[in-house]
Amino acid sequence: MADVDAPPLLEARALVRRYRRFTALDGVDLRLLPGEAVALLGPNGAGKTTLLELLAGVARPTEGTVTWGGGDAAVRVGWVPQRPAVYLRLSVRENLRLFAALEGADDPSAEAERLIGRADLETVASRPAGQLSTGTLQRLNLAVALAGHPAALLLDEPSATLSPDQRLRLWEWLGELRAQDGLALVFSTQSVQEAARHGDRMVVIARGRSAFAGGMDDLLARWGSPDDGVDADERAFLRLVEGTPA
Amino acid sequence: MRGALLLFRKDLRLLRRAPLLLAVLVGYPLLVALLVAAALQGEQRRPTVALVSLDAPGRTVQVGDRRLSVDDYVERLQEEVDVERLEPARAREELDAGRVAAILTIPEGFIADLQSGVRQPTLELVTSRRSPIEGEAIQRRLESAVYRFNQGLAQGYVRQVLQLVDFIVNGGSIAVLGRQGDVIGLVRGRELIVDAQAELRRDGNTALALRLAPLISFIDETQNNLDLARPAATAISSPIQLSIREGARGREPLSAFGMAGALLVSLALAGVLLAAAGLSSEREENTLVRLRRGLVPLPLLIVEKVLFSALACLVVGMVLLAAVAGLTDLAVGRWAVWPGVLLLAGAAFGAFGALVGAAARETRTALLAALMLALPLVFVGLIPGDRTGVVADVVPFGPAFDVFRTLLADPTLGSIGGSLALLGGLTAVLTGLAALVLHRRAAT
Repeated sequence: MADVDAPPLLEARALVRRYRRFTALDGVDLRLLPGEAVALLGPNGAGKTTLLELLAGVARPTEGTVTWGGGDAAVRVGWVPQRPAVYLRLSVRENLRLFAALEGADDPSAEAERLIGRADLETVASRPAGQLSTGTLQRLNLAVALAGHPAALLLDEPSATLSPDQRLRLWEWLGELRAQDGLALVFSTQSVQEAARHGDRMVVIARGRSAFAGGMDDLLARWGSPDDGVDADERAFLRLVEGTPA
Repeated sequence: MRGALLLFRKDLRLLRRAPLLLAVLVGYPLLVALLVAAALQGEQRRPTVALVSLDAPGRTVQVGDRRLSVDDYVERLQEEVDVERLEPARAREELDAGRVAAILTIPEGFIADLQSGVRQPTLELVTSRRSPIEGEAIQRRLESAVYRFNQGLAQGYVRQVLQLVDFIVNGGSIAVLGRQGDVIGLVRGRELIVDAQAELRRDGNTALALRLAPLISFIDETQNNLDLARPAATAISSPIQLSIREGARGREPLSAFGMAGALLVSLALAGVLLAAAGLSSEREENTLVRLRRGLVPLPLLIVEKVLFSALACLVVGMVLLAAVAGLTDLAVGRWAVWPGVLLLAGAAFGAFGALVGAAARETRTALLAALMLALPLVFVGLIPGDRTGVVADVVPFGPAFDVFRTLLADPTLGSIGGSLALLGGLTAVLTGLAALVLHRRAAT
C-alpha cells in the first residue's frame, strides 16, 4: 500500500535524545512513505517510545531533525500514546468534540459524529470515557488521534493491554483506515509476529540505536538458524538485540 | 487562546458535573471559614490584663472641678478588660505563662506629669507574642479606653480654661497666697473707662477723653475674641459627639477581622486546590501529551487553570460576602471593588496551586501537597502586624488578607494599592514558575 514513488512523508535524521547523562536514543534515522506501515520493534527500554515522542512532537530531539511532508505545515500527524489520553469524566462524544475543536475543525460536532461512526462507538457515545472497557477506550484513544485528519498515525504499543479479540478488531480497523484513507502508520511493539504481520517493514531498536531495518525474511536470513523450529522469528530477533553478529 | 477557552469550558462542565466535588469545594472552605471566624471572634471576649502601677498611691490631680487618681483610670480600663493588679515580676511570669494577655504599666510620676500640664505621661503596654491576634484586640480596647479617658481630661481642662475666661471677662474674687482680692474684669473695666471718658468730656477735657477711646476699643476686641474662645474650646474638647444607643438584639456579630480571615481561608483553599487538581489531572489523564503537541501551549494551559481558579474564587467570595451581609451585623459595602479584588486574589491563589500541580505527578499527591503547603502559609498570612518577612512576601495569602481587611474595616483605601500590586506581581511570578516546572516535568 506504500507509494514507493512518492516523496517521503517523514524524514527523521540522526535523532539523539539525552536525559541528563542517560542517552535514550542515539543517532536513529527513519523514513516513512505515504501509506506505509513501519513497525518499531524492540525490547523494553530500547527507545521506541522516545523515538515516537520525537516524531509526534511531544518531545524535542537533543540532536537531529524530524521533517514531516517535506516541511509542509499542513501535514497532520495523529498521536496514539500507549496509555489512553482522554478526559475520563467527559463522554465519548464530548471528548471527540473537544479534541476536534482543539484541532481546528470547522464543525466539531459533525466531526465528532464522523469519528464515532468510524470507530464504531455509537452505542457508548454518551458514556463517560472512564466507564469504557479497555478495548473501547483504546478505540476512543485512536479516534481522538484521527480528529485532525492526519496523514499518518503514530501508535505506541497500541495492542499491549488488549485481549486477543480486541487486538484483532483493532488491527482490522487500522487496516481499513490504511485502505480507505491511505493512512501511513508507525507503531511500536514488542511482538515480532505483530511487527511482521502488520508492518510493511520493521525497524529494530536496541539500546537506543537502530539495529536493523527490513523485512522478516531478511531478519531470518541474517540471524536465523535452521535449528530454531517454530520459534525461528523470536530467536532471530533475540540474537539481533543481544548483539550476536549476523 | 481558543484552545485555552475550550479547556476553560471543559473544566467548567466537569465541575458542574461533579456535585459532590462542588459541594466539597464550597462546603469545606465555608466550614473552615466558620471555624476561623469563630476562633477570631476571640477579640470580642474580655481578656485579662495585668496592671503594674509604679506611681505612688493616693496621688491625685485636679482637673476642672474634679480630682482624679490612678484608680479613676483603672476604673475606666475595667469597662474594656478584666484588670488584675500585680507586681512587675509576677506580671511578667503571668504573661509568659499565658495567664494574662498583656501587661499595662502605669509609670512612676504618672499623676505628677498629668498635673504638670506640660509633660505627657506615657502608659506602657506589653502584649503576648503567643497570641498576636488577642494582643491586637487588647491594643484596640486600651486605645479606646485611653481615648475616652483623654476625652474626660480634655473636658476638665476646657472647663478650667472657660472658668478663667469668664473670670477675665466678668471679674470676681481670687485667693492668692492666702490673701483674698477682687479682679474687676473686662466688662466692669470698660464701664469704668466709659464713665471716666464721659466725665472728662463734661469737664471740657476732650483731648484726654479721646485718648481713652483706643483703650475701650481694645477691651471690646478682647471681649469679642474671648467670646469666640468659649465655643472653640468646647468644640476642641469634643470634636465629634457620638450618640450611642443599644439596638435590638439581633444576630451574632461577626468582626471584620474574623470575616477577612474566613474569606482568606475559604478562597485560598478553593483557589489553590482547584488549580492544583485541575493541572495535575491533565497529567494523570495523560491528556497533557496531546495538548502539548501544539494544541495548547503549556504557559497558556497554566493561565487557563489560574483564570478558572480566579472565577471560582469570585463566585465563592461573592456568595460568602452576600451571606455575611444578609445574615450578620457586619456591613460589607464596597460592592463595586470586591469583584476585581476577588478575581485578583483568586488568580494569585490559583497560580500558587498551579505551581504545586505542575510539580506533582498525580492528582491525589497534588491535592495533599497543596493542602499541606497552603494551610500553614494561610495561617501565617493571618498574623497581623508588620509582615515584611520573606514568607509573607513570596506567597499571596498575606497581601490578600491585608486587602480583605482594608476593604472590610478601613474607612480609606489608601494602603490597598501596595498589596494589590504585590498580589499581581506574585500571580505573574508564580504562573511563570508553574509553566517552567511543568515544562521541565513534561520533558522527563
